Amino acid sequence: MNRLILLLATTFATVLAAGLWIPLKAIAAQELLELAWAESQARQQETRPWPWADTWPVARLTMPETGQSLIVLDGAHGESLAFGPGQVLGNEGRTGPVVIAGHRDTHFRGLQHLETGSRVRLQSRDGDWRIFRVERIRVVDSRHEQINTSQLPQDSLLLVTCYPFNGLDGNGPLRYVVEATAESLVTADEVNNTLPVETVAGT
Amino acid sequence: MLLTHVVPTSTTITNAGCRQARTARGRLSPRARRCVEGISLWLAVLLFLFVHPVFAEASETGQEGAGEFHFVDDRGQRQGSATLLNTDYQVTVSGLIADTRLRQSFRNTSQHWREGVFVFPLPENASVYGMTMTAGERVIVGEIHEKQEAKRQYIRAKEEGRKVARVDQQRPNLFTTRMANIPPGETITVELNYQQAVRYQSGEFELRLPTTLTPRYMPGQALDNRPAQWVGGWATPTTEVPDADQVSPFTVLPEDVGPGSHRATIALTISAGLPVSRVSSPSHRINSTWNGNTVEVAPESDTVLMDRDLVVRWAPARGMEPSAAIFHEQWQGEDYLLAMMVPGLDRDQRLPRELVFVIDTSGSMAGESIRQARRALLRGLETLGPEDRFNVIQFNSQTHALFMEPVPATANNIARARRYVQGLNANGGTEVAPALDAALKDSHSDGETSASVRQVVFITDGSVGNEAALFGKINNQLGRSRLFTVGIGSAPNMHFMREAARYGRGTYTAISDLSAVERPLDELLAKMEAPVLTDITVSWPGQTAVAEAFPNRVGDLFRGEPMVQVVRGLSGEGELEVSGRLPDGSRWQQALSLDQAAPGKGLHRHWAKQKINALMDSGLTGQIDENAQKKVTDLGLKHQLMTRYTSFLAQEKTLSRPAGETLAADSVPTLLPAGSQGTMLRYPQTATLSPLLTAIGLVGLMFLTAITLLQRRVFG
Repeated sequence: MNRLILLLATTFATVLAAGLWIPLKAIAAQELLELAWAESQARQQETRPWPWADTWPVARLTMPETGQSLIVLDGAHGESLAFGPGQVLGNEGRTGPVVIAGHRDTHFRGLQHLETGSRVRLQSRDGDWRIFRVERIRVVDSRHEQINTSQLPQDSLLLVTCYPFNGLDGNGPLRYVVEATAESLVTADEVNNTLPVETVAGT
Repeated sequence: MLLTHVVPTSTTITNAGCRQARTARGRLSPRARRCVEGISLWLAVLLFLFVHPVFAEASETGQEGAGEFHFVDDRGQRQGSATLLNTDYQVTVSGLIADTRLRQSFRNTSQHWREGVFVFPLPENASVYGMTMTAGERVIVGEIHEKQEAKRQYIRAKEEGRKVARVDQQRPNLFTTRMANIPPGETITVELNYQQAVRYQSGEFELRLPTTLTPRYMPGQALDNRPAQWVGGWATPTTEVPDADQVSPFTVLPEDVGPGSHRATIALTISAGLPVSRVSSPSHRINSTWNGNTVEVAPESDTVLMDRDLVVRWAPARGMEPSAAIFHEQWQGEDYLLAMMVPGLDRDQRLPRELVFVIDTSGSMAGESIRQARRALLRGLETLGPEDRFNVIQFNSQTHALFMEPVPATANNIARARRYVQGLNANGGTEVAPALDAALKDSHSDGETSASVRQVVFITDGSVGNEAALFGKINNQLGRSRLFTVGIGSAPNMHFMREAARYGRGTYTAISDLSAVERPLDELLAKMEAPVLTDITVSWPGQTAVAEAFPNRVGDLFRGEPMVQVVRGLSGEGELEVSGRLPDGSRWQQALSLDQAAPGKGLHRHWAKQKINALMDSGLTGQIDENAQKKVTDLGLKHQLMTRYTSFLAQEKTLSRPAGETLAADSVPTLLPAGSQGTMLRYPQTATLSPLLTAIGLVGLMFLTAITLLQRRVFG
């Protein structure tokens, strides 16, 4: 009897550990990605965070509301989403709409705190920041809707994650979509100019 | 977040509890018991935290109603559509060409003058050649214009208050009708004429009438005129449908449109020139009436809801299956010939094959894609016969083959392959070149088994770079192999897949909807089971530079497939010769006398459409240069065909709308399709199993603690 209980306890503990491993991996990977992002900014080329990775950092996303700063990876397949939000649509030049998807349990958990009017900042590889304003937030049913990329305004940013945020079902059909529009552009030079000021303000 | 804080705390308690329990040597001291109870309490609290969202989820879906989803506009209000739509299809099939008169009626049920915009599908190979607008008593015949010109005239007429209708082609199978200045309470009808080639396969003709689109709902601000965007290699011309309205053409459930809206009436007249023995439809219940050699077909119900394609199949009487057909037409002093030939070969002839499956297991395939690919492979393994040989190759950063070289498809080997396939996991990069090398390496290129057919099935999501080098590789190493590419997922590199299949003399199968893998794949696998004729050459009599035949290069023919070619500049004299290589290596040849040609209708349009398709295909990723653009425009204007660059426009001369009245725009929604899917960007899967696993772990641990406690209490 005791042995059985011990066995079951071990099993459940393993399951629990597996469940906790996913968010842990997500947090740890972001640290590694910071390095790869810094390198790709320095060299201005795609830098894989580890040699066998099938993805690479393409942007940095910060949400001042939640204090989050995330490295965005290329593609929204299982592998990239495990380590960071994935860019589904968007190109190197700053033209055209951008769609970024992330796991609701890890990186994009903070999306629920965004509201209409919140600011979201996106940095491209050349160091320029684009500041977006959240225009509206919707919940869509992915069984009935798809993203019509040709209908998206050129200066829009879509953040997509699963809904509801506390759901247990990993294959649920609902998606939480935050639609934001570009407001202004801060080039890398301007950032560098204002950087000392920020540092002063921080200390 | 909460969990990571709480769990370490509970672990420390557990440790403390255990120590206490140990000191008590099996007997629980009151303090230890309190401790264990404390753990249970903690776990219960955690459990509650996790179960609560489940209830929340359940109650939310309850409120929404099953499967129903509401579309709202920017102000959060539901947009009802005031413009009613009804559609009427009149199809006349003569020989191999089906001619359709499509009538779309828009009825303005509101109190305002309106503009209606409706996005609708037509068959991929349809050539639209005529359009008329009927407003009340007046009939206005539409003219073909260069697209920009049509747009300008439309806007002018719309602003001046004249009734105007315009039809544009967005994609080969996607069109937009827009009509401005529909008076309140009135109906405007737009009539389109288009023709398409009928598919003939395994002794059966098939015609498909699409009535609805894949969901493509993405609201946002109205677009102004911007250049086309490039999405996944496809040029998607900006559908400036939401001209003034804030809502784009959306797809809705049948219940959400008015009871009289989105109904189609359909009637087919089939005069195949042959006695037709049976007519069937896998999509709708139909009624057929025979009238000599002509058959009238209509759906059983008077009106059909426009939520699925209508497919009609008919077969000639037994023993009357055509083995060849020739049609001839003279148009503007030029001759057009359409030839169809079915190689009259033994259907049951089955040659041993060598089948190589190549599967992409790079990280980008992770998730649903790899699951579908695994299923696809398992289905492929089922089609192997006892005389076949096969191999399975997977590639990511490295290439790994299951067997050193293709092995006979014995039960043992297949079982091994099944196990191998089931164990495939997606991880790593995408190195295509070595995988192609391995797949195309033919160990028996001139040995005793050269009679067998070598087929390579290449399953990937196609995120590939160095395309040109890969095409060269395929071209050089192909030998007797045939390459069939299968693209999985929402955004495969279409250009690579299509071109690779072309260089590899195979076909490309796109699986964009991951929930419907079986049908396209089964079709492909069934086809591959019996290749009939390869290396086909067609020689028309006295072929000169004037004569242009399409398709340019006839691909391999599979079981039941006919060879179809259309040519311009040849009169119906002499003999057409078709030759090819049979799977066992011998030559096959057949001649067809052109004197027998029956008069055909619309062949010049079919030819022009084929030529336009060839021109549109010429550029990479759907983008063609200005020279080709001009050629397409000229062809469109000459043959009165709608193309990407030419549109139909019908406008009245006199003013209708009084200057004081304003015009409201209205996007007529398209019904949500019952099955089919397109290549729109799907929402990615964005949840992990983390909460579920954590919850299961916690519930389990709590349960065990409770049992331990109980056991100690009862037996202790």
